[in-house]
Amino acid sequence: MLFRCRNCGGNVVYSPERNKMFCPHCDGIDSEEKAGGDAGTECINCGAPLEIKEYNSTCKCEYCGSYMILDERVDGKYRPHLIIPFKIGKDRAVELMRQEFKSRVFAPDSFLSEATLEEMKGLYVPFWMYDYAARCDYAGTGTKVRVWTGGDTQYTETSYYHVERNLDIDFDRIPVDASIEMNDDIMDLMEPFDYRQLEGFTEEYMSGFYGEIYNMGAEELENRAKEKAARDADSLLKESISGYASLVQERKRMDLDREGVQYALLPVWRYRYRYQDREYEFHVNGQTGKIIGAVPVSKKKVLAYGGTVFAVLWAALSLLLHIAEVI
Amino acid sequence: MKQYIRYFKWYFVCVWVLAAVYAGILLLHGSSDAGGRTNGECLTGERVFDYGEVLSAEEEEKLRELIAKRERQTGCDIVLVTLDESLEEYAREREPYVPYEEFVRVYAEEFYDGNGFGYDGPSGDGVLLVDNWYREADGNVYTWFCAAGKADKKYNLAMMNHLLDVVYRYVERSPYKAYRAYINEFYHDMTGSGRNLYGAVGLRVVPFAAALLVMLLFIALHWNGEKGKKTVTAAAYVNGGRPRINKKEDILVNKVVTKRKIQTSSGSGGRSGGRSGGSHSHGGHHGGAGHHR
Repeated sequence: MLFRCRNCGGNVVYSPERNKMFCPHCDGIDSEEKAGGDAGTECINCGAPLEIKEYNSTCKCEYCGSYMILDERVDGKYRPHLIIPFKIGKDRAVELMRQEFKSRVFAPDSFLSEATLEEMKGLYVPFWMYDYAARCDYAGTGTKVRVWTGGDTQYTETSYYHVERNLDIDFDRIPVDASIEMNDDIMDLMEPFDYRQLEGFTEEYMSGFYGEIYNMGAEELENRAKEKAARDADSLLKESISGYASLVQERKRMDLDREGVQYALLPVWRYRYRYQDREYEFHVNGQTGKIIGAVPVSKKKVLAYGGTVFAVLWAALSLLLHIAEVI
Repeated sequence: MKQYIRYFKWYFVCVWVLAAVYAGILLLHGSSDAGGRTNGECLTGERVFDYGEVLSAEEEEKLRELIAKRERQTGCDIVLVTLDESLEEYAREREPYVPYEEFVRVYAEEFYDGNGFGYDGPSGDGVLLVDNWYREADGNVYTWFCAAGKADKKYNLAMMNHLLDVVYRYVERSPYKAYRAYINEFYHDMTGSGRNLYGAVGLRVVPFAAALLVMLLFIALHWNGEKGKKTVTAAAYVNGGRPRINKKEDILVNKVVTKRKIQTSSGSGGRSGGRSGGSHSHGGHHGGAGHHR
């Protein structure tokens, strides 16, 4: 399907800035109507062939620029339960990146140039969100040490404690990305998303963006979610045992029971930059604006900037010393 | 390029301002004339006394011309004496216990005062270099530099030693070049026109090392390979923001106290002292320093 403008027939897309459907051709607001059925392999608007990859749930016609949503990939088992719509548009995402990397003086000149930003894409990344009930049971021996001095004698008092903790932790919606293309570590760094803006899925939010169906099932990815839950539970357990100089563990048990799982789409802007035969990827959280990515270093700029700092400082200090001498 | 210019704009401006200030100061010093010589009691108009005969007539003439110019600029008499004779008898007649290295000092002071040198009056502003090519009984050849009046005030021992080092750099190969350096070094020292100061190793090394260090820090600070920071807390996905604590027990089981005698030290710290050298001063108005080769 695609969303066509009732006023001009153009392709209506979701505008994060307006939080509404918007027709970029006639500036119409909420003027969309669903058009066509299944896109198949041809554009509903112009009939041109579409390049649809294995996991795509939306695609863009290279000829007329219309965004198509593939019906069978947003329906049935592939219909997401939840979505966080884009809250940050492309212009804002670029502005945030420019602000973030403004101080990176060694970045190549073409980094974030208009030409390279053309290919910046807004993607809805598929995530599984797991709910767990965790039960932690801990026993150990802790020591507290007190030192004081009386006359010419130093006293050290060591107190031994029996420490026991039993915690119940309810984890809600631990996110694990279900896209093979997206790097897991990068997606973990994209967190946190603000779940207060989670909404029930509707196709409108996908118009104007790229999207994927989940590439792997919830069972396949559960281990990653369990690892995250266990790591967080362990940290919370440690936080609850404070004030001890040392702690010797006697018993520790952690049970995790999955209580539910939901399929959601989360918004991410992706900027790919090619420099010296290497591809660098930058991701901007489409909801919070958090930026992830390491800027490439131009050796020419390191030499130029480093050399200039050296030369300027050397000249300035030498001149200052000479002036001081003369005066 | 635009970004580069924008980034370093103020750095460049600072350097240009400093360079302009420095150039202005140099110009001011270089063009200034110290005024006319007021000493009418000096016994001679000669400044180059080549008793050691190490200079050609032409070289002597060139040195006289240079001295005349530098005297006007510095307001000091600049005198050069070369010798090739033992000064032992001469010096011991005047100061019986004077050591070998100070024979030239006795001669220099007598020579300066005896001739009434001094730009502003007898024994006034001026300098004298005595270079005795004769190898004394201790096997050394001695040179003495003495300063009087405002030159004495300007010079410390380190500056004198530096000036003599410059002379010794050339004297064996070319006495003319060495004495020329003496005149020019003195001029630069008095007017602060720079060249000799820049020659000081410390002044060259400190800015270089500081600039190098700052450059390395600059590169290290800007070479950031970090992809991003983890900003998720352990409680981020916990319902209610914190765990439910069903059991929390901290029971004191045992307490052990150990004690240790504190060692006190009864000794007191010592202090080491040092002395720094200063320039010699005889007769109340001469500062000087000597070198030997």
